[in-house]
Amino acid sequence: MSAVPQRREVLRVPPTRKAEIVADLYRAIREEGRTLVELEWEQQRLHESRRWSAVERVDAVELEGVSASDRLVVWNAGRAELTTKPGADRLARLADQECRRWQGRNDAVASIIQACGTWSRYWNEEEAHHETSFNRLALLLGLERISDETFIEFRKIFPDDDMLRTLTLLSISEIVAAVNYAHCARITQEPGLKALFKQVGADEIQHMNYFIAFAKGLVDSGEYRAKEAFAVAHLFLREGGEVQGSRREHVEQRETHVNWWDQLEYREGMNAPDAAEKKETLIFHALKRITGITVSSAEELEDTWMELVG
Amino acid sequence: MPSADELKDYIQKKFSEHLGLSQEEIFGADLTLAALITRSERMANSVDLMEAFARTSNALRREHGLRVRLPALALDTRISKVLEVFLQEVQRQREERAA
Ligand SMILES: [Fe+2]
Ligand SMILES: [Fe+2]
Repeated sequence: MSAVPQRREVLRVPPTRKAEIVADLYRAIREEGRTLVELEWEQQRLHESRRWSAVERVDAVELEGVSASDRLVVWNAGRAELTTKPGADRLARLADQECRRWQGRNDAVASIIQACGTWSRYWNEEEAHHETSFNRLALLLGLERISDETFIEFRKIFPDDDMLRTLTLLSISEIVAAVNYAHCARITQEPGLKALFKQVGADEIQHMNYFIAFAKGLVDSGEYRAKEAFAVAHLFLREGGEVQGSRREHVEQRETHVNWWDQLEYREGMNAPDAAEKKETLIFHALKRITGITVSSAEELEDTWMELVG
Repeated sequence: MPSADELKDYIQKKFSEHLGLSQEEIFGADLTLAALITRSERMANSVDLMEAFARTSNALRREHGLRVRLPALALDTRISKVLEVFLQEVQRQREERAA
């Protein structure tokens, strides 16, 4: 039997704090010497502290009390959430690949990216709750069936891109989802469904915070350029941009993958979430946290992006 | 101030520089934006393409004091259409200045 190195004394840990997202990752790794084992434990603690049961939440919904508009919202949400698994699977793969690229060149960056890839397992698991809750509810409500063909179509994997662009895109995707769910929670009259929307919305905010922290770590390291974060935000907020989702005049027909925001079906009688201003504000706020640069309008965002492009 | 033709040549030259393709390749077959992304080794997606156009616009501003803002363009748009958008905007600003 090989000897396990022993410490002479057990580690004395301070009384347990509330689990939190490490927002300043680059400093935590470079200056405080925090390791992946420590960061992972923090992720695990937060994940555990936020656990909830999809089975119980679905059971708590009084089906007869769900309005016609809410039904459409549930149906759309279930479909949209199908695209999160390929997103998380891809992130796990991309992050590991990117991490190895930095090993030996900038080990702090390698660790930030590995922390991100590691966290993707919690993200994937939490999104599973969203997807299954809404799709199960849609089934119980007798809504239009999601065929296996659609299911498989929505599992298509988004093509790879620069890591900072990817993390910014994911931050924004979580922002759009969170604002939509908050809107749905406000509108619905059925208490069980309201609680579900609130729960899912809170998860999306938490995901956004993680993505922002990882993206900020990359920018803080000096190895990734702020222009990449701005480019993605511009793609969403420019005139006719992605933030308008399927309401845009032109939605790209793609063979490669499904962007959930392009697939929402607005039907008559549906009280559809929009709140474009709220989304915009949160996107500016995310950019500020990621890059330290403040913008407060779509024009300013474009100008700053163009300056950064050079 | 350069003539309209000179500006057109200038923009075409800049497109070619930033897209990483020859002028003949880009304009000869009047490629769509999707085809440009596929052809160019320098571009993988529409964000890269947006950046190439932004660089062209930046060059116009630095060297000629003209400011072009590009609208969101569908990937099946042909490059001649993008050139047209640039030229219209440039022309409008020239007229404004002359007035
Ligand atoms: Fe979700
Ligand atoms: Fe999420």
